[in-house]
Amino acid sequence: MLQMIITGLICGALLGFVMQRGRFCLTGGFRDIYLTRNNRMFYALLIAIAIQAVGIFALVQSGVIEFKAGSFNWLAVIVGSYVFGIGIVLAGGCATGTWYRAGEGLIGSWIALFGYMVMSAIMKTGPLSGFNKSISKVSAPTNSIPDTFGISAWFLVALVAIIAAFFAIRELRKPKVALPSLKQKRKGLAHLLFEKRWHPFFTAVLVGLIAILAWPLSEATGRKAGLGITTPSANLVQYLVTGDHKFLNWGVYLVLGILLGSFIAAKASREFKFRAPDARTSVTSFAGGILMGFGASLAGGCSIGNGLVQTAMMTWQGWVALAVMILGTWTASYFVYVRPRSQKARTQTSASVQTAV
Amino acid sequence: MIQQKLSVIGQVCPFPLIEAKEAIKTLSSGDELIIDFDCTQATESIPQWVAEEGHTVTNYEQIDDATWTITVRKK
Repeated sequence: MLQMIITGLICGALLGFVMQRGRFCLTGGFRDIYLTRNNRMFYALLIAIAIQAVGIFALVQSGVIEFKAGSFNWLAVIVGSYVFGIGIVLAGGCATGTWYRAGEGLIGSWIALFGYMVMSAIMKTGPLSGFNKSISKVSAPTNSIPDTFGISAWFLVALVAIIAAFFAIRELRKPKVALPSLKQKRKGLAHLLFEKRWHPFFTAVLVGLIAILAWPLSEATGRKAGLGITTPSANLVQYLVTGDHKFLNWGVYLVLGILLGSFIAAKASREFKFRAPDARTSVTSFAGGILMGFGASLAGGCSIGNGLVQTAMMTWQGWVALAVMILGTWTASYFVYVRPRSQKARTQTSASVQTAV
Repeated sequence: MIQQKLSVIGQVCPFPLIEAKEAIKTLSSGDELIIDFDCTQATESIPQWVAEEGHTVTNYEQIDDATWTITVRKK
């Protein structure tokens, strides 16, 4: 029990810290592929997937950890991931993003997190659990991509690693634009940890390493999985309302650790501040949280569980979920950002107040 | 030279960047846009946008807990 609390909290805190400092936002990354034609965060995700995949398959092969791909509940994965993609744009962050932004003091993320956690619990053991199970019955027997093609998983791991390396190198070779940086006010380690900008690819490497670390730590406590956000978030609510200790597992401490790590990072970098959204944003965040909880529970994972972990395990669930989730973020981005602005531009002549200096 | 102030305090990403892009359209070359924001992720997205568009940053600093200001001179 103590081991579970300590290793879960530490692993979560590392993840929360790294994501906060690295501004690792998958929602923003997916959204910007469409909004600004910027793929940098997507490449960063590929790097994290590739690193984790190498580590996990090495651990599986050496018998340190166990992994079974199971069946591919394709209908639930497709419907759930699409709804999840819409939800994270409305909530202003994916499941993990919402956890770490809550640690930065964003009240809007607390609201989204509440909707997300409660809805996940409703889908898992509440009134919608029957619906969830019946949709999940529509499945294909093989979830593992290497098994489908009868090839070694290492072949796919190598393929993903080569693709990630190709895009990363191409991105890094682009003519350097001098990025304006903040006035340096700290020195040494404090500057590196709490002030300096982290390159997204550097952050991605750390996220990949933490994702590997999660597996043996989690399995040592009996939970045979890696990083996961949705089920643990639901477990926390289930535990709080039933008092039943069976809901407390390594994952619950992992998500609490994310909050803690991000709070430490934000506080030490002077980036913690209670920030309250207006009424409209609050309602949107809450709706986003509900959709996130609904979608992630149906799909069997969020942008971390499916997008980072299942992809690294080379399952159909992971890669199909990732693609559909991205389509969901684009759909929502169109209705939230693109359409309202183009309508405004058509009906309004720009009115801006300028002051001469 | 015209200096225009844009406060997007309280707005979450990506709105600070969207507002900044709209605001700079109304300025002419050499004018400055001062953006005050408190969305942490904008510390990444706004400087990136400025650099890629070729504008110049004449001031960029943290002015309070989770509050930043950046001054962009239009190219």
